Amino acid sequence: MIEVFLQVLIGGVMLGGLYALVAFGLSLTYGVVHILDFAHGTLLAVIGVIASLLYLAGLNPLWIALILVPCAFAYGGAFYFTLLRPLGARRPFESTVGTVLVTVGALLILSDVTSVLAGATPKNIPTRLGVYLIGDVVIPRMQLAILLATALLTLAIHLVLTRTWFGRAIRAVTQEQVAAQLCGVRSVWLRTMTFAFGAGTVAIAAVLYVLTYPVDPYMGFGLTVKAFTIIILGGIGNLPGALVAGILLGVAEGMTGLYWDTQWAPAISVVLLLVILVVRPQGFSRKTA
Amino acid sequence: MKTRLCLTLATSAVIGLAVAQPAAAKLGSCDDPIVLGTTLSESGVFSTLADRWRNMTKIFAEEVNKRGGIPVKDCNKNLPIEFVIYDDQSVPATAVSLYERLVSVDKVDFLVGPDWSSIGGPVPAVAERHKVPIVMANVATPSIYERGFKYVWGTPAPVVPRWSERYFDMLKNVDPKPKTIYFVTEDNPVMKGITTVWSKKVEDQGLEVVGSEMFSSTQKDFTAVLAKIRSQKPDIIYISSFDGASVPLVQQMAQMQIKAMDIHHTMLTGSLERQVGADIEGWTGELVWYQGVKGDYSDLIDTVLERSNVDMFDYIWTLARLNSYLVMMQAVEKAGAVDREKVKAALYRGTFKSPAGDIVFDENGFPNTGAFTIQLQDGKAVVVWPKDVATAQLRWPATASK
Repeated sequence: MIEVFLQVLIGGVMLGGLYALVAFGLSLTYGVVHILDFAHGTLLAVIGVIASLLYLAGLNPLWIALILVPCAFAYGGAFYFTLLRPLGARRPFESTVGTVLVTVGALLILSDVTSVLAGATPKNIPTRLGVYLIGDVVIPRMQLAILLATALLTLAIHLVLTRTWFGRAIRAVTQEQVAAQLCGVRSVWLRTMTFAFGAGTVAIAAVLYVLTYPVDPYMGFGLTVKAFTIIILGGIGNLPGALVAGILLGVAEGMTGLYWDTQWAPAISVVLLLVILVVRPQGFSRKTA
Repeated sequence: MKTRLCLTLATSAVIGLAVAQPAAAKLGSCDDPIVLGTTLSESGVFSTLADRWRNMTKIFAEEVNKRGGIPVKDCNKNLPIEFVIYDDQSVPATAVSLYERLVSVDKVDFLVGPDWSSIGGPVPAVAERHKVPIVMANVATPSIYERGFKYVWGTPAPVVPRWSERYFDMLKNVDPKPKTIYFVTEDNPVMKGITTVWSKKVEDQGLEVVGSEMFSSTQKDFTAVLAKIRSQKPDIIYISSFDGASVPLVQQMAQMQIKAMDIHHTMLTGSLERQVGADIEGWTGELVWYQGVKGDYSDLIDTVLERSNVDMFDYIWTLARLNSYLVMMQAVEKAGAVDREKVKAALYRGTFKSPAGDIVFDENGFPNTGAFTIQLQDGKAVVVWPKDVATAQLRWPATASK
């Protein structure tokens, strides 16, 4: 039985790494722009579908990422600049409702257009790198590589946030927007770039996700809910916290499947979200990146 | 002036609508073709399952008419058939209004189709209200037929109680004999129904059920399920699931090197194979009928499928759809008249021919159809059981999984 436990634990850690990656972009955009992007997970699903089609066209995953990341970056920036930024000029209530409508509308449009153009059936990039066998425990090399890539990406984003002017500006706006503007941070530019940066990280997450799990145009909202749970548990803007929270969520889902019922595993994120909001609303820490 | 303009526009609209309506068929006529009305899910969620069926249905009518049409005794001659077809968009409400239109406006003689239980649920009420016999196609939920309808029949294949009958019969005859089985079931009424039937029956044939897991249609990570299966080391892994929902399960099974004497999938389809490739090599599954298996009307169906470029492995629900046409044709022939009441009487508890064997209706209009057992051998689906219709020999234990 210990092998089964270890197997599920390892699977949960690997799955959680992917969840964390999905949450990074949302964590940044919410931290800086204060907009809950309901289309975040759907963007991942759509990019995943495009990635699988590019793979079928003969491109390898690295090239696919190199093509899709700049495209997603441009899309994210344009999405904020043209659709969300004008709402900032409205009264707070209208602005809040407007951003919800725009992001939910984007979710529906992205899903339906992708379904019409590429079909609604699940798609992925079926790449295998073999497995490590330790006793009766199987560790797929691909998932291990994805977990390492996630850890490296977390480190890279952390360095960007702590060692570059862009990162310092993001942290400044996250902590105190007016003071940051007084210090010369151009708010609109920074918000646009943050949305673009968030979409870029979604593209990387999408390519890594589709290497392991199938995606379809309508699966995005569930991922967005998981990302919400992770950023609330990890702390808004706190990327290492998000990584730990993602892994906790992945392990919790796996253990739910092992000790209770697999069907309930997807619901665990909502249960966790509610428990955290009641018991420890500040998550792991109050500190942001 | 305004009133005149309005009157002119209204008159034009009425005339336009009248012209736009298709000519209504003359009911029961010996001088006109027998008109069958149907809807297909050409758009919407089910469209990938049925997108070639309009052309196939037209070709079916052409081929039947080329072979002389349907002998009708009261007319002393054979009558050709023709179809009026609409797209129900995979939406039940649309299907209901279209069946109303087929009966009230197009005045078709009889109804065939629709497919899928969600659409087949509300449609029978239309047929019943207008007293028009309907032979539905892929509507497999038994409760739909248990509502006391008198004009409703269906040709779903296979039906839930008989879904894997031949597969489990095959397991009695293989060597080495499997001793244990693990069920993995998608949370769906049809799939749960199949598992319920067989998890009870298998113990009678000496198979021990060592585990049973249920998963949701949207589940992506199966680590916990697969870890449990690995620990039990079952001889047979029985996956009761629609093809699309099981893609991540199948891929992760291969990744985690799950081994068994056989892995059986209730919906081993071309679509699944295209997505997971060699991961299902050697697996067994079900197919209602396969090109090459000889039976009643198999020549006609072979020609129709070939001309319409429909492969049974890709469009696994095709025979049930074609069977609804075949049954209605035979019912008219048995009735000897293009008469709704006589056709209704012919259908009641009737036995009808199909390429996959006889279709026998019970008193509710529910059939008894089963399926052949197939195995994926070198990337091709072949019928392996029953032996007398097999197109290839069963490879046992299944090659890839052992």
